[in-house]
Amino acid sequence: MPDSESGPDFRRGMIDRRLAHTKRVLLVMSGKGGVGKSVVSAALAGIAAATGLKAGLMDADIYGPSSALLLGAKGLPVEGESGLVPPTLGGVKVMSVDLFASGRPIPLAGAGANEILLELLALTDWGELDCLVVDMPPATGDIMLTLTSLRKDDVAAVVVTMPDRLSVSVAHRVLELLKGGGVTTVGVLGNMVRGSAKHRDTGPGNLAKEFGVPLLGLLPYDPSVPRAVERGSPDALLRTKFARGLRKSMNSYLRAMTGGASDEEE
Amino acid sequence: MHELSLVQGIIDAVGETVAEKGGRVRSVRIGVGELAQFDVRLVRSLLNDLKKGTPLEGARIIVEPEKSKIKCLSCGMIWDFQDLAGAISGDEREIMHFLPELLNSCSRCPNCSRSYFEIEEGRSVRIMEVVLDA
Repeated sequence: MPDSESGPDFRRGMIDRRLAHTKRVLLVMSGKGGVGKSVVSAALAGIAAATGLKAGLMDADIYGPSSALLLGAKGLPVEGESGLVPPTLGGVKVMSVDLFASGRPIPLAGAGANEILLELLALTDWGELDCLVVDMPPATGDIMLTLTSLRKDDVAAVVVTMPDRLSVSVAHRVLELLKGGGVTTVGVLGNMVRGSAKHRDTGPGNLAKEFGVPLLGLLPYDPSVPRAVERGSPDALLRTKFARGLRKSMNSYLRAMTGGASDEEE
Repeated sequence: MHELSLVQGIIDAVGETVAEKGGRVRSVRIGVGELAQFDVRLVRSLLNDLKKGTPLEGARIIVEPEKSKIKCLSCGMIWDFQDLAGAISGDEREIMHFLPELLNSCSRCPNCSRSYFEIEEGRSVRIMEVVLDA
């Protein structure tokens, strides 16, 4: 008797095979919008590339993509023999739905956003990467569940939060979801922190302590970041005080990939 | 030509199904959704070229076009890509070739003009059925 079954979603296997050539995947998460995940993601990918690593940036914020804009990428990706070739800006290979949508609104019902994510992950030919930084969307829906369930070792997450109670409460939910779920939490990163050191440390620091993960750093609000973002250039972003602070905060993670070559110069 | 990657993905997925369940592939049915605008003959030809030496060799391979069905979640209207064809530009067709869901970025419900609709059928290429002999 023949055994008939509905076909598997072949994109899942394609994604596994694509990511087999990527050493590490780093999810930049917060659960909440507006805390600076996209800028952290773009700067982090740029820092990794500047350190000599093969870096990629995947924009998983399908409804509100910004990675392409941040790095100055535009136009449809080229179709190569093995899939879509992501454009390279500042040494970073970037893939975003906005390379296709080009600023159009992206109103998606039901499974639409996750379908786009799966398609982009299945089709993008990243080649060999040391690190794929993923700019995660706000919320804890399908996209987060897809990306935290990748069938791959070395998937880690950085949880970004501003120090205010609202941001911290949402980041708390994300950390709770990450606990024991197969994704290593690299740590908590405080962003756009204002005020005295005494006040700055309360939210992100307590969060890190509660979950027993490192507090990676408390990056102060840097007014030069919006100007760098306006220029849409990875170099401008990497020259900011914010990027220098981020590099310092992520030094241990970067060192683990480079064997110590990324040591922050003091 | 990302059709090549997708067809290779199909062949690999069928291979994985065989490895997992055992047996031989009797037939595979592939649907080619109209929104991605793939050439059905090209998909068929690539499958025939790439199946050699894989569990698909010797199996019956059916490749058939799959009409689209788009449903407005606001007014309930149901339509297909052909109903919109004249209103979609060449550039928009090109982006839908890669990401069919971007139909939502390029059009609206023909009845109520809202953007709140979803693709129920015919988005892109997919494996509809795999029949294995034990």
